[in-house]
Amino acid sequence: MAVVSVKDLRKRYRAGDPWAVDGVTFELEAGEAFGLLGPNGAGKTSVVKMIAGLIHPDVGSISLFGSHPGNPAARAQLGFAPEDPDFPKFLRASEILDYFASLLGLDEAERKRRIPETLAFAGLDAERRQIRQFSKGMKQRLGIAQAILGRPKLLILDEPTADLDPLGRRDVRALIERLKQSGVAILLNSHLLSEVELVCDTVAIMGKGRVLKEGTMEEVVPEGRNLEDVFVELFQAASPKRDQLPSFIDEGQSR
Amino acid sequence: MNGTAAVARYTLLELSRRRVLLVFFLVGSLGIVGLGVGLRILYSLFESNPNGGFNPVTNQFVELQFVSLIRSALGTFGLLIAYGIGMTAIYHDLDSGAATSIFSKPVSRFAFSVGKILAGVAALVVIVGLLAVEARLVMLLFGGGYEDAITEEVLATVANTLVVMLIVLALSTWMNNIVAAVVAFVYYNVITGVMTLLHSFVTSNLIENGVARAVIDVAYWLFPHPLTSSIPAALVRAQVQAGGQSGQSSGPAAAVLQGSGPGDIAWWAFVMVFFAAVVYYSVRRRQV
Repeated sequence: MAVVSVKDLRKRYRAGDPWAVDGVTFELEAGEAFGLLGPNGAGKTSVVKMIAGLIHPDVGSISLFGSHPGNPAARAQLGFAPEDPDFPKFLRASEILDYFASLLGLDEAERKRRIPETLAFAGLDAERRQIRQFSKGMKQRLGIAQAILGRPKLLILDEPTADLDPLGRRDVRALIERLKQSGVAILLNSHLLSEVELVCDTVAIMGKGRVLKEGTMEEVVPEGRNLEDVFVELFQAASPKRDQLPSFIDEGQSR
Repeated sequence: MNGTAAVARYTLLELSRRRVLLVFFLVGSLGIVGLGVGLRILYSLFESNPNGGFNPVTNQFVELQFVSLIRSALGTFGLLIAYGIGMTAIYHDLDSGAATSIFSKPVSRFAFSVGKILAGVAALVVIVGLLAVEARLVMLLFGGGYEDAITEEVLATVANTLVVMLIVLALSTWMNNIVAAVVAFVYYNVITGVMTLLHSFVTSNLIENGVARAVIDVAYWLFPHPLTSSIPAALVRAQVQAGGQSGQSSGPAAAVLQGSGPGDIAWWAFVMVFFAAVVYYSVRRRQV
């Protein structure tokens, strides 16, 4: 059975608006890393939010561990690190993890074991400040930490390395590799194509809510080329050229 | 159940760290002490002045003044605290994106809503309760026999502020929290205030026109209206008596200010359940 199965998913935020997600279909198996790519506004975050049960599709169906994403038992097996994560701002990192561990139903002994280890993994074990004093990078690391706290069978990472330094990115890549090996399914939503190419087995490239290209990495990226070439080729024709700088940029230099 | 308890626990922890609530509490508690001590000093001055020219000022009368002022102070600070909790308890989670992480966990929106409401209720009851305990202790300065009067008033204040908190909580899931507070203020403090006053004119027969009475009666039960203790009426009677006039002459004013009956209390319970349901409905529909 697929960990997650998405069929003909459609979503629009207001009546009359174009579809934000328009007929997306894919499946993800245990131990598989699936990359969801696309330019800004392609509908990637809408897809992962529907899988996490945060927003509802207008059309189509989602099966998460054979159940509806609204089912808390299905979500108990899901770890979700959202894009630009935020948390109750007057709490500390350890309190956030304890809060989420309680929501996951972890008992006292398990919380005492997992929380310090997870904080150490995120590099936040010595952090005593409240979330409102955290940088974006620290929030992102906490976002990943809370996502793995429940030992999920499906980990959804929405732009997980956007605010991380190179060391943080390396750690996330290593985490994905280790989780894949232990049978965890990974759904990675990222703009960093080189990273996706390194860790994902299959990819789907989205544009304007639709899947434009999908398959294993070998199928999507022909030999001798890379994912960025394929991506640029796919979208170059549709996007206006931006090779001309605004006129005022040159004004100072000509004076 | 675990989810509800976790949401309530950490919401309470967050509320306890919000400086705005701490400031309201500190200003309120300092105000109550200030009122009590100030009135006591004034009373001592009157007492020690043989040519004061005032009517005989009794402990009872000064305590009545204190109770009257405390009513206003508790009501005002209770409302401020209710707005403070209502504007922040759910709104900041939804607005900041914290809800995205929370709702992806195995917690139902129902458990989340119940946890938030329970935390808000507990915080409000504790803060207003502490102010009331302080007021009760300050009343020992007077010994005028009205010490128990404050209890009924506190219950009415807590009940009214709970409704305000729930209205703001419900509105803040739909709109910006400042706009929610303004709408709640207009709805609860202005419209229902006017309705309550008009209804009190009807019940005390100050409005005799049958059609007007019927319209006001119906409109009164369409809005939440604040519960009132029997203290305002008792205060009017006691103040008139302390002023040396007959108790009879306080009749009309006291009738206008009569306390809430079982019907009002049942309506309050319904309003609480209704707005709690609105909070849940809004949270359930909210896409984060």
